[in-house]
Amino acid sequence: MHPHERLPPLPRTWWLKHRYFIVYMLREATVLPLLFFAVCLLAGLIALLRGEASWMNWLAFMGSAPVLLINGLALAASLYHAWTFFQLFPRVMPLRIAGHPLPHQAVVAAQWAGVAVVTLISLWLFVGGAR
Amino acid sequence: MSTKSIRIKRYLPEQADEAFWQRYEVPVDDSTSLLDALNLVKEELDSSLSYRWSCRMAICGSCGVMVNGIPKLGCKTFLRDYPDEVRIEPLAHFPVQRDLVVDMEIFLQHLAAVKPWLIDEASNAAEPNRQTPAQLARYKQFANCINCGLCYSACPQFGLNPEFLGPAAIALAHRYNLDSRDHGKAQRMPELNRHEGVWSCTFVGFCSEVCPKHVDPAAAVNQGKVESAKHTLIALFRG
Amino acid sequence: MSDKPSRRQAFDEPLWWGLFSAGGVCFAVFVPAAILCLALLAPLGVVPLDAERARSMLFGLPGLLFVGAVVCLPLFHAAHRIRHGCFDLRLGRDGRNKWLTYGSAALLSAAALTGVLIGMLR
Repeated sequence: MHPHERLPPLPRTWWLKHRYFIVYMLREATVLPLLFFAVCLLAGLIALLRGEASWMNWLAFMGSAPVLLINGLALAASLYHAWTFFQLFPRVMPLRIAGHPLPHQAVVAAQWAGVAVVTLISLWLFVGGAR
Repeated sequence: MSTKSIRIKRYLPEQADEAFWQRYEVPVDDSTSLLDALNLVKEELDSSLSYRWSCRMAICGSCGVMVNGIPKLGCKTFLRDYPDEVRIEPLAHFPVQRDLVVDMEIFLQHLAAVKPWLIDEASNAAEPNRQTPAQLARYKQFANCINCGLCYSACPQFGLNPEFLGPAAIALAHRYNLDSRDHGKAQRMPELNRHEGVWSCTFVGFCSEVCPKHVDPAAAVNQGKVESAKHTLIALFRG
Repeated sequence: MSDKPSRRQAFDEPLWWGLFSAGGVCFAVFVPAAILCLALLAPLGVVPLDAERARSMLFGLPGLLFVGAVVCLPLFHAAHRIRHGCFDLRLGRDGRNKWLTYGSAALLSAAALTGVLIGMLR
């Protein structure tokens, strides 16, 4: 018998036993509100194809308190995901310039700068084009 | 000199089927390591206690145990850092043989599977194998592994599926794949390309937190995913 | 519970991981702005968004790229994490979970892209 067949399987609650694993599960769970937001967008697309009235209904649905709350959570989740993801990136793809490794902090800062630029351009296009 | 109480999870298969907790009061000062304390218990309080140790200086990698649920080397853990209770258990995810001694056979199998040594059939053993500092720098960090197995106890993916090659084996495979003197990558990649190779990892990252030699195995495993992806793509194009 | 170990090469995993990584970048870089504009500012009426403007923004090449970056790739990112989350919680078998998660992501992505194309052809 293989020695490992004597080990009982890990209990489903293994991740509750240590703060580090809870934080890991939180990172993995950021995709749940993301999924909600993506399905909302898909619903919006279908509403837009169905016509004016459907689109207004969709906007009202998006403006209801529970939906606003979950999408607010999705925004927080996306920023938390970004915080974890940006730190992992330089470890998975260590970048070198002229043989010297780039400091991790610089790579993380550059990625946050990317988020800031994308968000500002989006706001400029979205708010600016509204009139 | 003060005393400190440590609780040790005991397992004596000839006496009982179940493990049990035993408390020991050991005299400690600021320089007492956990390994010192275990030696003290063994020599003066209870000679029946079993545990592994050798070098006392974090190089042999044999004194790994769980300290308050976190894998640590006994020799590199100091009781002064634990003002409250200290719970000592055998390394997680391995079958316990006796007290703090675990069966690491599966880890050794995974290690051997990735051939963690220089493979160079064409080399002339009489010639020195030259390497520049820049070539050394590419893999040096991953060469510090002492095979202590702490990362396996920290890895939930290994806990969930013991067939997962695991952090240390993949980090060592990556270390040799990055070595300019090595030509064994083609032999190692088929192991890494498996589901139980690099692809079982979800970058929990705890392996790198507990590594006593700062190898960062999580980074090595995930760099291994990039390598495996490249290798698979090339294999697909070649047919 | 865990699938039997094999010598088999995981030819599919680089694809899932590539989609997961690309989706992770989109989730971090593009999704915050998208949530801010479409799920908070527009429904709250801070920035009015009538159907005509929504159509002009979405039904075109920029809209197609937007859907790819904010819906499709993040869906594959989510699918990958949900699949591994199921394994972590020991729910179901990994082989079937792969079909369910990546299959759903593919179906929803196809639906979203088709929707934009229908809007463009009208």
